[in-house]
Amino acid sequence: MGRMMIPLTALRDGETATVVSIDGGPEMGRRQRRRGFEKRLIDMGLTPGIKVTVVKSAPLHGPIEVIVRGSRLALGRGVAERILVEVERNG
Amino acid sequence: MVERKIRIALAGNANVGKSVIFNYLTGLHQHIGNWPGKTVEKAEGTLHFKGYTIDIIDLPGIYSMSTYSIEEQITREYIVNERPDVVINVVDASILERNLYFTLQLMEMEIPMILALNQMDMAKRKGVEIDVNKLEKILGIPVVPTIAIKGVGVFKLLEKAIEVAEKKEPKRAAIAPFGRDVEEKIAELSKMIERVGCRYPPRYVAIRLLEGDEEMEREVMKLSPNLIEVAERFSREIEEMHGHASSTVIAAERHEAASRIAREVQKIIPPVKPRFEERLHTLTTHRVAGYIIMIFLLLSILYSIFAVGGYISDLLNTMFYGVEDFLYILVGAEAFGRLVWGVLEGIIAGATIALPYIVPFYVILYLLEDSGYLSRVAFLMDSVMHKMGLHGKAFIPLILGYGCNVPACLGCRIMETWRERLLAVFATTLVPCAARTVIILGLVGKYLGVEWALGLYALNLSVIFALGRLAFKALPGEPTALIMEMHDYRLPHLKTVLKQTWFRLLEFVKIAFPLIVFGSFMIKFIEVFGMLKPIAQALSPITVMWLGLPEITGIALIFGILRKELTLIMLATLLGTTRFADIPGFGPIQMIVFTIVTMFYIPCVSTIAALVKEIGWRNALLITVFEIVFAVAVGGIAYRLLAILYPLRDFHPVRVEGLPSFSGLRVFYR
Repeated sequence: MGRMMIPLTALRDGETATVVSIDGGPEMGRRQRRRGFEKRLIDMGLTPGIKVTVVKSAPLHGPIEVIVRGSRLALGRGVAERILVEVERNG
Repeated sequence: MVERKIRIALAGNANVGKSVIFNYLTGLHQHIGNWPGKTVEKAEGTLHFKGYTIDIIDLPGIYSMSTYSIEEQITREYIVNERPDVVINVVDASILERNLYFTLQLMEMEIPMILALNQMDMAKRKGVEIDVNKLEKILGIPVVPTIAIKGVGVFKLLEKAIEVAEKKEPKRAAIAPFGRDVEEKIAELSKMIERVGCRYPPRYVAIRLLEGDEEMEREVMKLSPNLIEVAERFSREIEEMHGHASSTVIAAERHEAASRIAREVQKIIPPVKPRFEERLHTLTTHRVAGYIIMIFLLLSILYSIFAVGGYISDLLNTMFYGVEDFLYILVGAEAFGRLVWGVLEGIIAGATIALPYIVPFYVILYLLEDSGYLSRVAFLMDSVMHKMGLHGKAFIPLILGYGCNVPACLGCRIMETWRERLLAVFATTLVPCAARTVIILGLVGKYLGVEWALGLYALNLSVIFALGRLAFKALPGEPTALIMEMHDYRLPHLKTVLKQTWFRLLEFVKIAFPLIVFGSFMIKFIEVFGMLKPIAQALSPITVMWLGLPEITGIALIFGILRKELTLIMLATLLGTTRFADIPGFGPIQMIVFTIVTMFYIPCVSTIAALVKEIGWRNALLITVFEIVFAVAVGGIAYRLLAILYPLRDFHPVRVEGLPSFSGLRVFYR
């Protein structure tokens, strides 16, 4: 059993993990301003501590389908890569 | 008795059935326009009920009250500035948790509101049971369960809304959704805001400031810069305590509150077997089957729009063009008669090109959107569309642009942000529509062979990719990543779809027809007063010297602005022959150059009208001018390249038999 921190894109289909943080890129302005996509992710319920399940991903490096807070979301690969999650895996 | 007036606003997430409720209540008394200065649709309606005149406004479907998108900005500004008498928050009972997040944000604005717990039937299918009384008690506002598509509960909703509106008391939220330390900061900050005096509820301002909302900061800055400093200090303290930005903490705690409430009021007994809509979802997003279904579906849509639209278009054409001779008998074939005909021809062009295609297109687009299939297509096509700087949803208008650009441009409104819409609209205008297909096939395909026609299609596709990418890079702003909800499949509500189509159509006619008629009149005017020749001569440096085309083509291209297939028809009329291969100085190279220019040079007048409606005058003009310059540039380059590649060899014009017959070609052989 091991805990590991990986980007959401590294999860296998069907795996569930806990959101740790969203990498919003370089800091903007004097206070950390959330960038548009980060704000949107949080509005859609991908907040730190929430459980997220990966259903599948579209071919050709396409978006990832996840279930979070009981609803189904499609996340572009670019954003999904910036979501850091913690997962427990055997071995 | 004087009727009392009440203003109701409908607010909620996307796809919760807001527009079904709106259409149910307002019937045919509605008006679709744009928000002042914005290109976001504004739907308003009026109804009379129990002695009240009720104005209803359908606010855009959004997930949050931040000011990330124009829709969010509009909703927020409307609620806090216009202060409707009551807000009906429509929520999807089958995904209560997500919807309550928005409800909590609305409640922060301290407006009189009620909750419409919609899609109770869907919730039931999912095994979700909701204790309405308990939810009412927790939220402190009336909750009315509804099934809008069947009209269940809608009138009770209206009665409750009136009741709440009559009380006219600002609603303080009955619950404190945030954690203790955040609530303390909010309370302290609110007190300070109250002392300064702000036109918004203090608690609302405080929350916004702690979330780092720039719009609100600007507003408060004018009142008291000191407050901003305090808010910043508080934000830092929250950040230190929780290890995340204060905005994240607030949003997370709001989500947690929504989740807590949802858990408290609902019982979920999920069905044992996967539901039909779930299996359909799995199938339609499958990595192989999903694409096969999509291609099959889109092709049949394209075909049916073509078939239905083409049939109606032909019918109208024969009907209308019969009027021409009759008109000349009536008012004479002199200048006046021909000018009148010019105006009529504009109306005919609008009626025969735009309308027959717009109606089926709108119906199908709304069906796709309502049912939830649109978001699945976006999911499947996102990576491909990303290569041209667009996101998955843009695939639909782009594909349907092959039928007609006009509805395709109007369909770009499904894009979420302004930037996305602009990019999608731009790419769409480059797609060769049916009229341009007529020219590609009728000129190049017919005389030079199908492989040349296909070559032009390939050129077109690579131009769309290249220009799409370029525009994507050039346009300021952050690229919008795909973050999209895929709601459960459901049966679309046909009546709502038809009503939506009807009102959008009316709006298009209002905007487009004056423009189309004006354009048509101008061109007729130029023709009647013998200015075509001088203009063709004036254009000759471009047409003859740069593009290597016969001078007369300049006239044909002018007419093409009206409708693209007219370029070919005019060419035939001007030359008195449809055997283009016999025209001196109009060889294979000229045919290709002429077709390339026609393909890109300007969106037709109906498309320009659609552009104006969707992206405003300035941008419409910008795209138009750009495309003229671009087409001429590419045409000239193609001319020189072809001249080098085929210096002496004359390709022998071959007549290709058995090309599909297009409605435009039939017009052309009239």
